[in-house]
Amino acid sequence: MKIDPRTRIILVFLISSAAVVIKELISLLFLLLLTLILCRMFSVHLSGSIRKLRKLLYFFIVLALIQSIFTPGGETLIAAGGLRILTVSGLEIGISIIIRISVIIFSALLIASAPAMDVVYGLIAMKLPYEIAFMVLLSIKFLPLFREEFADSIIAVQLAGADLARIPLKQKLSLYSYVLTPSVVKALNRAEYISLSMECRGFRAFPCRTSYCRLRMGKADYLTILAVFTLIVIITI
Amino acid sequence: MSFYTINSLTFSYAGTDKLFQNISFDIEANQHIGLVGPNGCGKTTLVKLMLGILKPQGGEIYLEGNNIKDISLSDVGKKVGYVFQNPDKQLFCPTVLEQMRFSFAYGSCNPGEAEHDNTDYYLKAFDLMQYKSLSPMKLSRGEKQRLALASVLSRDVKFLILDEPSTGLDILRKKQLENCLMALKQEGKGYMMISHETKFLDRYVDRILKLHAEGVEYA
Repeated sequence: MKIDPRTRIILVFLISSAAVVIKELISLLFLLLLTLILCRMFSVHLSGSIRKLRKLLYFFIVLALIQSIFTPGGETLIAAGGLRILTVSGLEIGISIIIRISVIIFSALLIASAPAMDVVYGLIAMKLPYEIAFMVLLSIKFLPLFREEFADSIIAVQLAGADLARIPLKQKLSLYSYVLTPSVVKALNRAEYISLSMECRGFRAFPCRTSYCRLRMGKADYLTILAVFTLIVIITI
Repeated sequence: MSFYTINSLTFSYAGTDKLFQNISFDIEANQHIGLVGPNGCGKTTLVKLMLGILKPQGGEIYLEGNNIKDISLSDVGKKVGYVFQNPDKQLFCPTVLEQMRFSFAYGSCNPGEAEHDNTDYYLKAFDLMQYKSLSPMKLSRGEKQRLALASVLSRDVKFLILDEPSTGLDILRKKQLENCLMALKQEGKGYMMISHETKFLDRYVDRILKLHAEGVEYA
């Protein structure tokens, strides 16, 4: 589905705002369903994203458990002595948090799946100064750069003979701290080189910047925004 | 049994044509091989496959008779020293000295007298002694290349893979590299070297392996 990048940005704003505002579990579930349908419509590769999200599963579970334990109210599900460990309200809050984070992550994929330059054009068309729009592009690029640098360093560490599976935890932690700092520095250096090469090609040389790319929102864009807004209002009520 | 046995190797990156198909060759532990080919023909990719960093779509690679897919990267690293094409990817320690001693602290190498001997020897050999407390990030391209070489050469590995090791080196430092290659030859250690400098390869390798789209051949 060919859609204006501004539409994606507005949809993400609407959905993530709704995810923060909505408190009821059922409404959050409907919001998640709506987000997944939109991801499908915008050809987001959901299976790959879900596979990556699985790595965060333990983090989600721990977060949900902490919320569950520290939220009293409702029927007690698990108790130790006189202490109520897990209640129905706590469980509901825990599940809500997992769904809320999932909604925010999946909605962000609507932007992440669009070409980075399209997002920049969209931000500029939304009257954001082009310097800031390009800063957003660089920050979007920074995470994959950092991941790539970190992965390369881990390969170098292993090829230097360090067996990550066998070395003791204390050594492993100091080793990761070894690798982390230069990875951040290398990624920052690469981001700096990108900004330098942009300046070498005249970036910010003139206050006004024109573009070959002219964005126009069509009927499909307005209808999509209206439909999503209406559905969110219905879900919230 | 050869040190490396490459058998009907096929590889392509996702969404691209096959980089190479059904290539087979053997390398002995004491052989000195030069790997040549035009830009983008897959020389570095072949090396990454030989180290187990990438997985082939077809065929097998055996290191001392063991399939590379069954060996961990660290176990490969204990037998094969690899000098990356881009030294930035190889250097990860806070200081030059720690980079040199990393394998002794975390790898299989036994720490002790030999560590200091090797470390000091190669720091001196590559004129890096004065930088030993500096961060590798602060070194120039040529100095990083020298450090990458020194840190691999100081380890007691059976075989070395050098991906364009002379890039960024001046005449004097290239001579130092040549001395190290001669020393490796005298120790009976083998290496495979990727380079576009045919004169340099002619002097320091026994055989040249040409890689192209149709396969490999010994020149």
